[in-house]
Amino acid sequence: MNEISDRDLELSFADKLDRAARPLGWLLAVLAIVYAWTVAMAPIDSIQGPIQKILYVHPPLAYGAYLGFVVTAFGGMMYLWKDQENFDRLAIAGAEVGLLFCTLMMVTGPIWARGTWGHWWSWDPRLTVTLLLWFIYLAYLLLRAFGDAGPRTARFGAVYGIVGVLLIPLNYYVIEIFGSRSMHPENLERGSLGDGMGLPFLLGNLTLGVAFVWLLVRRWQVENLRAIAARWGRPEEDLQ
Amino acid sequence: MRVALAVLWKDLLTEWRSRDRLVAMAVFALLVVVIFHFALPEGTGRQIASNAPGLIWVAYVFTALIGLNRSFSQELENDALSGLALAPGERGWVFLGKAAANFTMIGTVQAMTAAAFGLVFDLDLGSVALELAAITALGTAGICSVGTLIAAMAVRTRFGEVLMPILLLPTLVPVIVGAVDGTEHLLETARIPFDAVQLLIVVDATYLITSFLCFEYVLDE
Repeated sequence: MNEISDRDLELSFADKLDRAARPLGWLLAVLAIVYAWTVAMAPIDSIQGPIQKILYVHPPLAYGAYLGFVVTAFGGMMYLWKDQENFDRLAIAGAEVGLLFCTLMMVTGPIWARGTWGHWWSWDPRLTVTLLLWFIYLAYLLLRAFGDAGPRTARFGAVYGIVGVLLIPLNYYVIEIFGSRSMHPENLERGSLGDGMGLPFLLGNLTLGVAFVWLLVRRWQVENLRAIAARWGRPEEDLQ
Repeated sequence: MRVALAVLWKDLLTEWRSRDRLVAMAVFALLVVVIFHFALPEGTGRQIASNAPGLIWVAYVFTALIGLNRSFSQELENDALSGLALAPGERGWVFLGKAAANFTMIGTVQAMTAAAFGLVFDLDLGSVALELAAITALGTAGICSVGTLIAAMAVRTRFGEVLMPILLLPTLVPVIVGAVDGTEHLLETARIPFDAVQLLIVVDATYLITSFLCFEYVLDE
């Protein structure tokens, strides 16, 4: 009897995630069209040329990447504390979506760097920290893949996720103090963007923020359905 | 604390009787030093001296990887790991004992590696031996704290030997940066650089506390 109610509980949570993801998906579709339009209409930078338009994609991807890693650590910590599998599934979703955003950021960054700084790569503090984080979350996913399916691997993942997120401030401090000089701007101050650039930048943050949440919720749902299928068989019929 | 001392004593005694880990690490470290000679064929005199801090830490880190991996793989035999998990008190003390044993063994091999490095590349490391030992100890404490935690996880996965460096190396960057910077300043000025020591203490403390607390979730029966 308990077995059946546990399954129903899990299915109902996966259904809740599905219901949350649907409106987010529609919102994302609308935002993506408006965002693409504003980026296309945005003025072309007089010095950098069209390549400057990567600005509307690159920083929002960075926020998503860091957020994904924070979600992974949060999910891991909550899993260790509460011992609820759902938090572990959230941690996996955070790592995968974070890694996707991080990879896209690492692709767009060098393209922009080549156009503006003249070379693909520099050991800039922010770049180096991001590269290390990319490796850490790749390692996190390998740890999950090479471990047995079960609570032990989930605990290992949680511990490694916590160590990984600790490295964000630690590495940043280390590389800022001991490493090379930064080539990135300190921050985007008010008025530092040219006329007509503020709106696409804002929309970029909003659209990719919604994309992050949508992907996270969908990935979390998939992880839940996978767990249900592994434990009780395929659940499609119940969801229809 | 008694658990930590018991685990430390057990590991040191086991190693004293077999000497397999120390020998393997020592031979590997010597080979790395020899490989440096061939990798840098022009590398004599000033060129080696300017690269020495980085090279010596590369040798230290790769050697530590071997020692750390073996530290837990030997516990898999006869399911000795379950016995460790049954030790009374917090499992963090087991971690501390293991980390201390790793620190002792890796430190021993590091002393030998530094002597060989100085000898074959004609570097005067003897005049700053104590200061160098202090910086090396701080760096090694960082490697052993997070390394012991990660080794305990990696050893119980498929491809554990492959996974171990993939998991560990990204976490060692703050330690390597501090240790290489400290060694470089020491060899140049013959004084211990405060910035590097401060950094290594912060990193060591962060890794030690985190690993102590997290070991509870890593070691299971």
